[in-house]
Amino acid sequence: MSADIDTLPGYTSGNGTGHIVRWLAGFALRGGSLLAFAALLVFFSVAAPFFFTLGNIGNVLGQSAILGVLAIGLTIVIIGGGANVVKGGIDLSLAANLGLSAAVYATLVSAGYGDGVAIAGALLTGSLIGLVNAIAIVVFGIVPLLATLAVMNVVAGLELVLTQNTVVSASSDFLSLLSAYGPFDIPVLAYVLVIFTGIAAAIIQFTPLGLRLYAVGAFPEAARAAGLPVKRMVAGSYVASGFCGGVAGILSVSYLSGSTTGAGEMLLPVVVTALLSVVFSRRLVPTIGGTLLSTLLVGFLTNGFQLLNISSTLVSGIQGILILLVVAATSLQRGKGAA
Amino acid sequence: MSPVTENSKYALSLRGLVKRFGGVEALSGATLEVERGTVHGLIGQNGAGKSTLIKILAGLYQPDEGVIEINGIRHERLTAREVEKLGIHFIHQDRLLVPSFNVGESLFLGREPRLNRLPFLDRRSMRKRAQDILDRYFNLRLPANALISELTTAQKQIVQITRALLDKPSILVFDEPTAALVRREADILFDLIGRLRTDGITIIYISHYLNEIEALCDRATILRNGRDVASVDPRSTPASKIASLMVARDIGEMFPKVATTIGAPVLTAKKLSKAGKFRNVSLDVRQGEIVGLAGLLGSGAKDLVRVLFGLDTADSGEITIEGEQGRPRSPVAAVAKRLALVPEDRRGDGVALGLSVAENTTLASLKRFTRSGFLQRNAEHAEVDRLIEQLAIKTNGRFAPVRTLSGGNQQKVALAKWLSRKSSLYILDEPTVGVDIGSKVEIYNLIGKLAERGAGILVLSSDLSELIGITDRILVLFRGSVVREFRSSETTPDDVLAEATGALTPHHGEERHVG
Repeated sequence: MSADIDTLPGYTSGNGTGHIVRWLAGFALRGGSLLAFAALLVFFSVAAPFFFTLGNIGNVLGQSAILGVLAIGLTIVIIGGGANVVKGGIDLSLAANLGLSAAVYATLVSAGYGDGVAIAGALLTGSLIGLVNAIAIVVFGIVPLLATLAVMNVVAGLELVLTQNTVVSASSDFLSLLSAYGPFDIPVLAYVLVIFTGIAAAIIQFTPLGLRLYAVGAFPEAARAAGLPVKRMVAGSYVASGFCGGVAGILSVSYLSGSTTGAGEMLLPVVVTALLSVVFSRRLVPTIGGTLLSTLLVGFLTNGFQLLNISSTLVSGIQGILILLVVAATSLQRGKGAA
Repeated sequence: MSPVTENSKYALSLRGLVKRFGGVEALSGATLEVERGTVHGLIGQNGAGKSTLIKILAGLYQPDEGVIEINGIRHERLTAREVEKLGIHFIHQDRLLVPSFNVGESLFLGREPRLNRLPFLDRRSMRKRAQDILDRYFNLRLPANALISELTTAQKQIVQITRALLDKPSILVFDEPTAALVRREADILFDLIGRLRTDGITIIYISHYLNEIEALCDRATILRNGRDVASVDPRSTPASKIASLMVARDIGEMFPKVATTIGAPVLTAKKLSKAGKFRNVSLDVRQGEIVGLAGLLGSGAKDLVRVLFGLDTADSGEITIEGEQGRPRSPVAAVAKRLALVPEDRRGDGVALGLSVAENTTLASLKRFTRSGFLQRNAEHAEVDRLIEQLAIKTNGRFAPVRTLSGGNQQKVALAKWLSRKSSLYILDEPTVGVDIGSKVEIYNLIGKLAERGAGILVLSSDLSELIGITDRILVLFRGSVVREFRSSETTPDDVLAEATGALTPHHGEERHVG
């Protein structure tokens, strides 16, 4: 009967060279990225003896917490909006969101409000920014790249208005707790990153909601055919991303003991980190775990450069190159008529 | 939904459906009655109204007139959600599956099993249930972690059918299910449909292929021009009769065939093969000759044209263009060899909507109007005006943006673009699709003139009367091979259709070779 198709002949579609190029790109992405990560760690360990110590690794984790939380937000948006670099999900307002949320937090604390109010204020600010993005994209149908670019500028402007372009310093019990060191002399922020990643991964990778979000992003028609509310889920992903911006804002206040005027500089690292997460998954899709790994990669890169006394300005050049490489490789791997 | 209260003979009864789009009637009183537990074929040429009828059944369109009864219960209007509740499921041509999902995830998306009562996915149960059900229905073992993107077309289709089966459907609608399948895969599908029928599921089967209808269906409804012209038992009705019912018979003096002198070959193709698309196709087109290619979706005709024009590469075979051997490696090379292709999707591929009629018309032939690097506007405009008149393009002058023209006229502009370029071989893909009758005749005249001038012309058209009317010879492709060559003056649409639908090719014949 149908016994003759009961084995899976691996890759079956695709023609000649295109097929090979795609396969090579996929292989290079998956295997190559892990290998590159490992090589990088080995290189830095040899070049800078202090690099591979528990203390330094803890520090890198702690320093990466803000980046990691933001990148998780962006990853959620990319999952729900699709990985198409131009039309897919992207949230460029995340770094500015961090700046405004941090400013709100710092302003509230320095105005004498308690930590509870300040936390609520920061999270609400972040989520509201996400909601504005969601409305612009889902209701008005603006391309995410443009919508969030516009919102980014509005948010950055609001931050300037609120802080008069100064650093609002803030200190409170909660902030001191966050910036302290926890068990094993590892910064509390490192634990925060791990716990936050764990919660996000549980939701995105292990619940029906997460699975549906993947379907919505990868193939909206299929999601619609399965009866899923596509628009509402896309909108939700932007609100979730905004919420992450709020969380990152709070972490940033604790890390810098105040608001920051340079939040916009986080944008490039966040985009690199989220895009890079794709290469750490078997299916070449963005995942929360992959985002943690790429956060660490970017963190170790920065840290290693510092330890070797190489100018940190080089790092952002390398991040730019990484974006180009990852996007080029994933585009090649998908091929023109994939799916 | 309430259970079947009345023991109606029909699982589905759509009567006297009328659906208008603007001034055009897509359906003008079509009836489809399907008996419970049978396999019912729905056939008709492109534009006969099949897809409109199915979209009404799917709740996507509301009919302007007509009665819808499902299981004997009358429904004033159907929504997509109601249709699903009634147990009607559709297996679409385009497979709606997420490529990065595995089989289990695809089957259970939207109704995922949960771990105990926690809000978490029960991946193990998804995997196990997926394997169980595939095993039971299809005797098919897929690796648990196989991703959709790694499956063959047939396997994807099976996943989609299984998804529908999980809902315990009462009616399954297959829309051109074999269009993308090779014969061996199609056989598996037919086997499956037989078993679903035994399980009591009512099946509606839409296909171009008459041999499939004959092999599978208990009854078949034939649509033509928005009406059901007959409901027949395909096993006892000769295929030629069915084919003649499908073809409209109002061919007037539409086709002005000019006698031309046929000269040396412009294009010769020998034993072209492309894995999965076509095999051992040989053809030649001579100066002044108009050759037709007939073939349904999946016949390989479109793929053949893509290879001839350098959009795709063939696996083997030779192409000789004007005595010079060598396959065009790209469309640029093909144009350099004086080939011209007018694609079917002319609005998408053919015209720049923001530019004027004049600019669009000469876009591909600017070289002709250029002297020492400058455009000769007068020569350009003379040519544009000539084409506007010749093709009867309705426009407010040559400077009107193409956007302001009607769809049919936009198509004519796209055609004009390639016709203003002097080529030795024109490949025309559905040259008159979406164009009104009057303009069609203008286009036929123009094609005739090109041939008179000594160009070779290769025409693809699903309008068989047109194809016979304007060509000298017709090659018929069926599932990747040229099955027949006709002299156009000695054939009828019925004959061509019978060959193209495989009505004359035994169903369990020689297996099609696909690499």
